[in-house]
Amino acid sequence: MVDGTLSWTDFLSEAREFLHLSEQLGDGWTLCEKDGNEPNTFLSCKRKVRSKDNGTLSTLISVEYHVVFSVSYQVPMLFFQAHRSDGSLLDVDATWRAFMPEARERSDLFQMLTQMDHPVLFRPFMALHPCRTSDVLAQFGKKSENRILTFISVYGPHVQLNLQNAYGNAIKCK
Amino acid sequence: MTENILQFAAFESFVCPTFWHKLAELKIEHDRLSDAPKPISGHYTNHKAAGCLLEVDYSAYNSSAQPPKFSHNAVGTIYNKNTIEEFKELDKTSLLSAEGQALLADMTSARVLDNPSLLARFFVLSFADLKCHSYYYWFGFPCPLTHPLQLQSEAVRVKDLQNFAAVAEALRAVPSEAQNFFILYANEELESVEVRSLSAALTNIDNTEAEHYYYCFADPSEYEHPAWLMRNYVAFLLMQCPTLLGKTLKFLGLRYDQQMNVDNSLIWKVVQNDACDLTRIENVKFVGWEPNRNCKMGPRMVSMRDSMDPAKLAENSVNLNLKLMKWRLLPELNLEAIAQTKCLLFGAGTLGCAVARNLLSWGFKHITLLDSGKVGYSNPVRQNLYTHADAVMGNKMKSTTAAERLLEINPSAVAKGYVVQIPMPGHTIGEAMLEQTTNDLTLIEEQVHAHDVLFLLTDSRESRWLPTVLGAVHQKIVINAALGFDSYLVMRHGSTRECVGDQGNEIEGLKCIMGQKLGCYFCNDVTAPGNSLKDRTLDQQCTVTRPGVSNIAASYAVELLVALLQHPQRELAPAYYAQSSHKRQQVESTAAIPEGLLGILPHSIRGLLYNYENILPATEKFSQCIACSQPILASFRSEGHAFLLKAFETARYLEELTGIADFKSLHCEIIDFDDDEFDMSEGDENDSGPTTTNIDE
Ligand SMILES: [Zn+2]
Repeated sequence: MVDGTLSWTDFLSEAREFLHLSEQLGDGWTLCEKDGNEPNTFLSCKRKVRSKDNGTLSTLISVEYHVVFSVSYQVPMLFFQAHRSDGSLLDVDATWRAFMPEARERSDLFQMLTQMDHPVLFRPFMALHPCRTSDVLAQFGKKSENRILTFISVYGPHVQLNLQNAYGNAIKCK
Repeated sequence: MTENILQFAAFESFVCPTFWHKLAELKIEHDRLSDAPKPISGHYTNHKAAGCLLEVDYSAYNSSAQPPKFSHNAVGTIYNKNTIEEFKELDKTSLLSAEGQALLADMTSARVLDNPSLLARFFVLSFADLKCHSYYYWFGFPCPLTHPLQLQSEAVRVKDLQNFAAVAEALRAVPSEAQNFFILYANEELESVEVRSLSAALTNIDNTEAEHYYYCFADPSEYEHPAWLMRNYVAFLLMQCPTLLGKTLKFLGLRYDQQMNVDNSLIWKVVQNDACDLTRIENVKFVGWEPNRNCKMGPRMVSMRDSMDPAKLAENSVNLNLKLMKWRLLPELNLEAIAQTKCLLFGAGTLGCAVARNLLSWGFKHITLLDSGKVGYSNPVRQNLYTHADAVMGNKMKSTTAAERLLEINPSAVAKGYVVQIPMPGHTIGEAMLEQTTNDLTLIEEQVHAHDVLFLLTDSRESRWLPTVLGAVHQKIVINAALGFDSYLVMRHGSTRECVGDQGNEIEGLKCIMGQKLGCYFCNDVTAPGNSLKDRTLDQQCTVTRPGVSNIAASYAVELLVALLQHPQRELAPAYYAQSSHKRQQVESTAAIPEGLLGILPHSIRGLLYNYENILPATEKFSQCIACSQPILASFRSEGHAFLLKAFETARYLEELTGIADFKSLHCEIIDFDDDEFDMSEGDENDSGPTTTNIDE
């Protein structure tokens, strides 16, 4: 049984490895370092996605994704925040409609989406709750692979964060 | 015919919240009343482009800011007006013309050759309502109105070119800062492919070479049509090189895909046959105002309160916990009913403070506290809205201080406090006090009117009488909490509203009492003396309580209200009471009590910390109750204040009115306790005489 948790130093080194892959692929991730303390370094990227909220024409929204280290759960954690073309932020309800309109209310996904204060920026952000992440990482992540990559590949698609297949190839070639 | 005309993908403005944050900051700290136009910059990307966006963020106001990676600079101006009137009344046609003429001036000079990003042009007309966090704005992408371009053939993808490999290699070699506008010379016969800057290729253009030119630009359009900025590019080329008129021109919209390939870049072959003299600026018309969300030509407005107003931020966060509860556990939970319910708290002591905080936790917003007391030294440790400093100051009134604290905790709450004494039966009002008492009565009645729920949280039985009567007369929900040393009673008073609909179910082993038949604090006490819980403990004068008792009671009081508000019949909801005295049967029948959204809805909760037990008695209205019976309500309705004053004069009057012969004077039977008993700071100041007691617990 592989343990699905990461230490802070694991997180940092795998985040840097992930950043390196992203730079090779021109995928636009950056590493934000507030200072050297745990957990003040996180991965970040911005994407334009089409809101899944039907009813109106699908509109473009801008989403900022952060992969932050969760000190309490010792796993990567996905924070994100979306805004519309006029600059207004999507609240929890709007986020739900934009990203997961098809998921049922009692589904795992529904249970996972929450809002909490960003552990580095101290502003409210949407987040996917990390309570099951270590199980998931233990299940998917082989020791040789980058667990941040695994984490984003598993959790990202729920919130329209899809990584190119090239990441998988790149990590295998390494 | 129209099929052969090249169409363009219009620019869509895309504003990052930080653009507004920075605008507000600059307006307040720097620009103040100046509304002079200011240069700003925007950016667009041709890397995995979505839509056809021109983006602005906080860096727009920084003249030396570099565009983000894979993005190109756009040159703009912001006209931020001081008032909404100036914003509305500004002549939009003139502004567009002025912007367009400035663009043409750049084209005719050498400036565009040196800095082609001048072709990616925009401006913003705005008004920032900083108080309301509302931003009115309208983007324009100025462009001279010229004749349509004839499209010679369908757009061709770069990867379908015969010399694709060489072209792709050359394109990829262009440094990113030069990718916005450049020229690719691709001579297939000579197998020569090279990239040239606009100034190198267009100054003294060689027409034979120009046949092999691809006029390249970073194309932020994801659609089949090229981005709007190509219009300015074409206008500029024809202005710079009039000999290109009537010739086939190849435009290459450079587009990168997810894998950073240029394969899907598009090539349009176009001809401009009709000359348009852009040098006679005064004759040129311009287009470019962005339509709003309804596809009408008009401005947009965005409220940024959610992200910029700290009070709104707090409010949203408070609501969030409740929303999560609703989502996760109780989809039927009616949060709106809670947010709209207005609560009036009689007493701002231990119970009052705790109830108020619990109300905030549940998302109640309207909370008013009535109390006549000051914060004393002994209060802060138990009364959780006060601090030692409040007592040291010596003149802080509880009700107003509590309201201030509630607002500090949640700025979006509507919290008020009034310093008022609650007149009590048997406490004679002297001549001197008559006017003050009348004023107090008027204020109390007004407040009762203006609220939906009354919480009775005072420190004496007598002080509960008036709010009980007023609650009954005005058909309010009344929640009552009273404490003993290690016991508590929390109850909802029976309703005086007309009953409609469901009469409740008869269930074996259970007594069912409809909401309008339930008793009040006073009928209960008289009619149920023999209760197993020795409820007399509540009636005896207790001066101290175990600290947990008030928190427990306050929590039950608020939870009882919430459960009641979620019940379809609200205060008319029936209460059930297990009749059997056998414990086992009691447990069985209790299990059969119908549940609402939040479980059962008892009439009262009586608990003892001594054995950690609660019982849930339900009792009926007493027809001779001194507070809620018909004679009392009828007298109040017909006589008003005169009736009340008679009752304050002597409690005997109430006994006579209701016909209770053995009614004991309320005055000598104070049930509740007062932990201010030890509060020396207050005891000495209490000059109000025997007619009042502090409204406290
Ligand atoms: Zn009564």
